[in-house]
Amino acid sequence: MKNVVIAGYARSPFTFANKGEMTKVRPDDLAAQVVAGLIKKTGVPVGDLEDLILGCAFPEGEQGLNMARLVGFIAELPLSVAGTTVNRFCGSSMQAIHMAAGAIQMGAGEVFICAGVESMTRVPMMGFNPLPNPDLYERYPQAYMSMGETAENVARDCQITRAAQEAFAVESHAKASAAQSQGRLSDEIVAIKSNGGWVEQDGCIRAGTTAEGLAELKPAFDEQGTVTAGTSSPLTDGAAATLVCSEAYAEAKGLAPLARIKSIAVAGCKPEVMGLGPVAASNKALERAGLGGADIDIAELNEAFASQCLACLRDLDLKNAAINVDGGAIALGHPLGATGARITGKAAQLLAREKGRYALASQCIGGGQGIATVLEAVH
Amino acid sequence: MPVSEIKKVGVIGAGVMGAAIAAHMANGGVDVVLLDIVPEGAEDRNVIAASAIQKLLKTQPAALMHKSFARRIVPGNLEDHLDRLADCDWIVEAVIERLDIKQDLYRKIAAVRRPGAVISSNTSTLPLHRLTEGLPQDLCQDFLITHFFNPPRYMRLLEIVAGPTARPETVEKVRAFADERLGKGVVMCKDTPGFIANRIGIFWLQCAVVTAMEQNLPIEEADAVIGRPLGIPKTGVFALLDMVGLDLMPHVLGSMAESLPTEDPFHAIYQEPALIKKLIADGYTGRKGKGGFYRLNRDGGGKVKEALDLSSGDYRVSEKPKLASVAAAKKEGPRALLAHDDRSGRYAWSVMSRTLAYAASLVPEISDDIPAVDEAMRLGFNWDMGPFELMDKIGPAWFAQRLEADGQKVPSLLKAAGEGTFYQDQNGRLTAFGTDGAYHPVKRPAGVLLLADIKRGAAPVAGNGSASLWDVGDGVLCLEFHSKMNSLDFKILFLLRKALKLVPQGYRGLVVYNEGSNFSVGANIGLLLIAAKVKAWFLAEWMVRLGQNTYRDMKYAPFPVVVAPSGMALGGGCEMMLHADGVQAHGETYCGLVEVGVGVVPGWGGCKEMLWRWAKSKKRPGGPMPPVIKSFETISMAQVAKSAHEAKDLLFLRPEDGITMNRDRLLAGAKAKVLALAEGYTPPAQETIQLPGRSALAAMQMAVDGFMKNGKALPHDGVVSKGLARVLSGGDTDVTETVSEREILDLERSVFMKLARHPDSIARVSHMLKTGKPLRN
Repeated sequence: MKNVVIAGYARSPFTFANKGEMTKVRPDDLAAQVVAGLIKKTGVPVGDLEDLILGCAFPEGEQGLNMARLVGFIAELPLSVAGTTVNRFCGSSMQAIHMAAGAIQMGAGEVFICAGVESMTRVPMMGFNPLPNPDLYERYPQAYMSMGETAENVARDCQITRAAQEAFAVESHAKASAAQSQGRLSDEIVAIKSNGGWVEQDGCIRAGTTAEGLAELKPAFDEQGTVTAGTSSPLTDGAAATLVCSEAYAEAKGLAPLARIKSIAVAGCKPEVMGLGPVAASNKALERAGLGGADIDIAELNEAFASQCLACLRDLDLKNAAINVDGGAIALGHPLGATGARITGKAAQLLAREKGRYALASQCIGGGQGIATVLEAVH
Repeated sequence: MPVSEIKKVGVIGAGVMGAAIAAHMANGGVDVVLLDIVPEGAEDRNVIAASAIQKLLKTQPAALMHKSFARRIVPGNLEDHLDRLADCDWIVEAVIERLDIKQDLYRKIAAVRRPGAVISSNTSTLPLHRLTEGLPQDLCQDFLITHFFNPPRYMRLLEIVAGPTARPETVEKVRAFADERLGKGVVMCKDTPGFIANRIGIFWLQCAVVTAMEQNLPIEEADAVIGRPLGIPKTGVFALLDMVGLDLMPHVLGSMAESLPTEDPFHAIYQEPALIKKLIADGYTGRKGKGGFYRLNRDGGGKVKEALDLSSGDYRVSEKPKLASVAAAKKEGPRALLAHDDRSGRYAWSVMSRTLAYAASLVPEISDDIPAVDEAMRLGFNWDMGPFELMDKIGPAWFAQRLEADGQKVPSLLKAAGEGTFYQDQNGRLTAFGTDGAYHPVKRPAGVLLLADIKRGAAPVAGNGSASLWDVGDGVLCLEFHSKMNSLDFKILFLLRKALKLVPQGYRGLVVYNEGSNFSVGANIGLLLIAAKVKAWFLAEWMVRLGQNTYRDMKYAPFPVVVAPSGMALGGGCEMMLHADGVQAHGETYCGLVEVGVGVVPGWGGCKEMLWRWAKSKKRPGGPMPPVIKSFETISMAQVAKSAHEAKDLLFLRPEDGITMNRDRLLAGAKAKVLALAEGYTPPAQETIQLPGRSALAAMQMAVDGFMKNGKALPHDGVVSKGLARVLSGGDTDVTETVSEREILDLERSVFMKLARHPDSIARVSHMLKTGKPLRN
């Protein structure tokens, strides 16, 4: 079977929805700028591209129609490059990478752009027309349960204290702001044109976050609960993209692969504790790779909420791994459709940068799912 | 037309007053340049003006009628941006009260202003003849004092002083703009200290303070008598001073003492009590400080209102006095208060006799015109009646007699009025007593139409205990409410039905308008409580149906109906606006569907109208849900628009509905709108919409459950919101079906009735009637 590699990663700055610097940027324009940035950065011959696979969690309004095809037009990709928009909520753009990997191994293409985007400003969570199935809602309400409520369930069931969540959030901000100030984030960021100016830096990181400050916040989802806005990922605008190709193609074209895709998996779980989804998905992927948790050097575990991330870390045996080295979504932000490409691209980048052997990228998904990717060093 | 001559305004000085004036100019729809000095070492040279604009966005009550109006104000500084004044039509100076600084500024402005541009000062203490002393003649021709009251958006008085050489066009240009675009009641004043309102008002306040100290009267008692019984706001004197700021008073009093002639009675009461000096020095400057005459003591977690004891200077728990003098006034009017022999009555006499006599003695010194003095006090201090109107109320002859018995001087004007009154109705025209001893018609600015004037000497076309129908000329009828707080009852609905029958018999249209402080606080919910007590639910349902049918008939009548609200237009009052063929709203209109506060949903077609409005709106995203979600947010959170401009955002007003800034021009505006609509009028067509039914209901239930969980909704909010969700979802419909107005009205009614019977809703109604505040259950 052909080896599949990640041969490039780029993203936009992540900024707050509704109050950040990219509220006026359409999501298709945002994605197109990142795609163009990735092409420029990797030097991939665009004529070779098979498909642009674009993840998006609420593909309606400005994110509607087949946004991937439109992004291709905006980025002026050759008309021969196809485009498809995929939705697995927060796992959408990691799913895009998985689809490319599968296609490459099927011999159905050599090189793909796997991207994701979400403007949580311009298309609200739940979309403009939430129309749940009333019978399902009556019989099985957790199918539609709000993410905050599931985070509370996980905190309660797994006994993750508020103090532990807050310590985790403080660390996330500290890591992200250190990475930002030391310039470790700048080479992945594509400057985005917005309001006549350029946005070049992440906007959600709060450098001075303290446990004392977080302790003053009111619970956001349950009056009696422990989860606050400070221990949840913020609503975010952003886009991310990876270049996925066969290892042979990368070699032939002189591209610089970051990491090899070793295995992939998805798994379902109870929707009311969707935050635990990464456990089953990661274990499956590790098993498929013939690895144990202890073999992982680099892990990117999406921080939808501190409670679920801590619960997953407790269950996954990642004792040798560096976790979310440059900060996670609590600090950086979580533009739903873009996060999968960010953490997979980031894990690949870190594997190369930190000289590790294996990396794991995994995230939880609303409705009760997990998705995971195991990467292997190419050097 | 003079109004169009002012398109851009400069405001110099971005302090509290200057910034608020700039905001109100923006409310008036013009571009504003706001300039202040460059602070030493400032990085941003516009920092003072720029931060003042940022502050405006947070001021409460809001200085701006719409947040977006802040963009009409461009910040700048006096060193770099004087040239921006070159295309201003009016430049208002609101800088520190120092003659040298002001004059220096005028010279700089004179060098850049365009010919004919008006320069005015917002001074409250410096006379015009000193401000213009030594200035070039052409500048004096265009120079005025324009004295705004704080806060300028809400206080309707604008005093204008024009010097002897001022050009009449200059005065008229500013007067017309202030009247029509800023909504001001403009009072022309002479160049005398304190002009009109402060001359009398400061005397009154000072008199009340020192007299209370002399007589050792508790301040709650003072405020209870020098307040509502006299048609004065319930803040009275001491609570008003807390609001104004105690630290302001020494400046104002000092400048009065300095500028008033030695024989002025003000000097007899002028003093700076040691107690007040100490309060100010200790930071007790009023509401903006640690407290003032009153304070809220938050020690021990609670909130206890405390009052200052004027003799000891200590705070004690504030009490609500029960006074025989006030009870007497309630029964027999203000004279009974002033004649009352208890200590509060004697205090009231002592303060008001001197204040009223002082006011009477100042004509013609401060104004030749009695109505101008009254208007200044009404609009500048929010008195219901000006001093001469108040004297008419207590009887000028009685008052003169009492003054004499008291050993006080009787002013010559009061003597001249003799057994008569200061105002007289002469053949349906209001006239006022002049210094020449004759009565002269009270003049209204051109274009002002007041129902009070129409009613004088006319009989209503029809009427009952809650409403009257007036012929306001040109074939237009006007429905006026006069029930308690203009709450809507069956009598009002009956008269509206009658009006709908009468208009086709020789009239062209109908205006719904009144001159109360609020258009309507909503339906009379007392009926719900009665229905609950005697289990006469049919009565409540009959009332809901009556309202639904009446508003529907009003909407589809073959002639235009224009509703003209001012002040609060809540619940049923807001629903009436929503069913009007056109609305002409006063800028200060506060409307909203607030029914959830008493545990029910809008039942007179409010849910239906919001759904239809959002469905037709071009500002919403596509699909069947956004109209439902938007209506749900607006009604379930009882959103109230804080101005007519905000009402457009919430769709309580349509883009084509009109906004009138001057309260006194509202009826004229509404009448003009009826007449314009009457040309070739066709009633609106009945339309259907598509609603998602149960799927929408499930979506809203999910949202409500979330709000209950995170504590943003109270338990009964959940019940009421889910009832509302059922109405807005369209009930058992499906997105492939259409729904008629009738079907939504039926849903509204059935959900309303179900909620009305709920014990927690009844508790909300009863609490609201008792306290005027919503019950949180």
